[in-house]
Amino acid sequence: MSTIRIRSPAAYWLAVPAALWMLCAVVVPALLILWVSFWGGRQFSAASPLVLDNYTRFFGNQTYMNLIVQTLIHTATLMAICGVLGYCIAYFLVVKVRNAKLRTALFLAFIIPFWTSALIRAIAWVPFLGTNGVINNALMGLGLIDRPVEVFLYSRTGISMAQVSLYTLMASGPVVYMLAQIPPALREAAMTLKAPPGVVFWRIIFPLTLPGVVIGQVLVFLNVMADFATVATIGGNKIALLANLILNFYEGAQIRAAAVVSVILMACMLIGVVAAMRVVDIRKLGA
Amino acid sequence: MRSRLTGWALGTLTVGFLLYQWMPIATLSLLSFSGPTGGTTFPMNGVSLHWYRELWDASIMNDFKPPLWRSFVLALACSAVTTVLAVTAAQAMRGKFRGHNAFFYLLLLGIMAPGLLVGFGVALMARMLGVEPSWNGTAFLVHVSWTLPFGFMAMLAIFNRFDARIEEAALTLGATRWVAFQRITFPIVLPGIIGAALFGFSLSYDEFARSMFTTGADQTLPLAVLAQMDRQLTPELYAIGTATTVTSFFAILACIGSLALIRRSMRRG
Repeated sequence: MSTIRIRSPAAYWLAVPAALWMLCAVVVPALLILWVSFWGGRQFSAASPLVLDNYTRFFGNQTYMNLIVQTLIHTATLMAICGVLGYCIAYFLVVKVRNAKLRTALFLAFIIPFWTSALIRAIAWVPFLGTNGVINNALMGLGLIDRPVEVFLYSRTGISMAQVSLYTLMASGPVVYMLAQIPPALREAAMTLKAPPGVVFWRIIFPLTLPGVVIGQVLVFLNVMADFATVATIGGNKIALLANLILNFYEGAQIRAAAVVSVILMACMLIGVVAAMRVVDIRKLGA
Repeated sequence: MRSRLTGWALGTLTVGFLLYQWMPIATLSLLSFSGPTGGTTFPMNGVSLHWYRELWDASIMNDFKPPLWRSFVLALACSAVTTVLAVTAAQAMRGKFRGHNAFFYLLLLGIMAPGLLVGFGVALMARMLGVEPSWNGTAFLVHVSWTLPFGFMAMLAIFNRFDARIEEAALTLGATRWVAFQRITFPIVLPGIIGAALFGFSLSYDEFARSMFTTGADQTLPLAVLAQMDRQLTPELYAIGTATTVTSFFAILACIGSLALIRRSMRRG
């Protein structure tokens, strides 16, 4: 017994406002994008004939095809870096740090920047990366280079550096959650049975944290694929990925092309999420 | 012995990453206090509040005060709507109504969907309906679709930890469901609700991807920052960034405080 009866009409009606809001703000707009991507003609009109021209034009352009490949490669790189780094940090925080206060302090230091503006954090990387930036000055001060190197600002290296600092927490958080659920007795049992540390990790700990790893990878994947702000801030106008293309098309009043890119982006994300769901059942996480 | 070695290696990596993560924020704050002739990188050419003053008496071209006000009001409205809808939605989930699984995924979709695309879709919808995009219209609609799912998840977690036997006791003693909710459930989860409200506020306040196409001519603060970034990077942006980050820190502190409060009140209950 609780303040709400199971399967009562009240429960149903309480859900209606939130459901309606999400339908109007997310589901209907997504369907509209799909619809507009098939519009022919030039007017912005619901009476536009439905054609495939927008897609054939997009897929016929080699530059755009390259952009899709580059975006996927860039995202995969970030997933790998953030995944390994995030797992190491999660493992250290949960398993290696014994002092509860120290663990809380480190965890807060890890998580607090995540709650501040991602835009500001991306901008904060700019003074680091320029030819006159902190990194170049430090490298020159150490005598490692004698001329400023230009690989950082307006480059994919610089974008990746900033994105690693932005998204590692997303790869790490779910792993922390899964690691914290593993009873210590499990490891002790394995050790008692003379399993070497490597075997304990790869055969027991890692498989148990796999759902967390996958969720983390999905989060990094979704965020990097959709991140246009870091790319625009650090890449200047020199680098563009798929999400920036939507922005460019929209600002150039090419609504149909923007819709096509959006649909492709959504399709990529959907495939990614479905593939991840095949590996693990996300619903089990909450249980 | 080997396990100790891995411990040290992982520890070094973790501390290294934390430094890597905090250094840009620290540098940004430091540079925001550079002298009037200071640029966007070192040397600072003195220490001053010049860039903060510049921010305060700005020209009309790059005046950040109106965007700041808009962002603040928008975040406040989002936080209010989020809180109410998140509590009703989470309470509804406890009732396990038909289709509550689909409902859960519908809200999850709001977190997963990329902001730029959601904003794009709503801009299309507004255009079809003949509505002009505005910060307090379309942007509000989109922002809540972002803050609500987080508030909902937070409330679900809070209700999960909630000891339902207390409610049962109230009902057994003859309270109606509504009275029991008002007098028993609500006060116990209140710190959690405050936490969710603050979280919703900061999510909306920092949001820019969803605002991109839905805000119209009167920009919110993150959009004004992006626009200024497009024109020219100045230490003024660092000053704004520092001010925003400090505001976020206070919101986080309040959030952590209210969570600590709820943990304590639940232990007592």
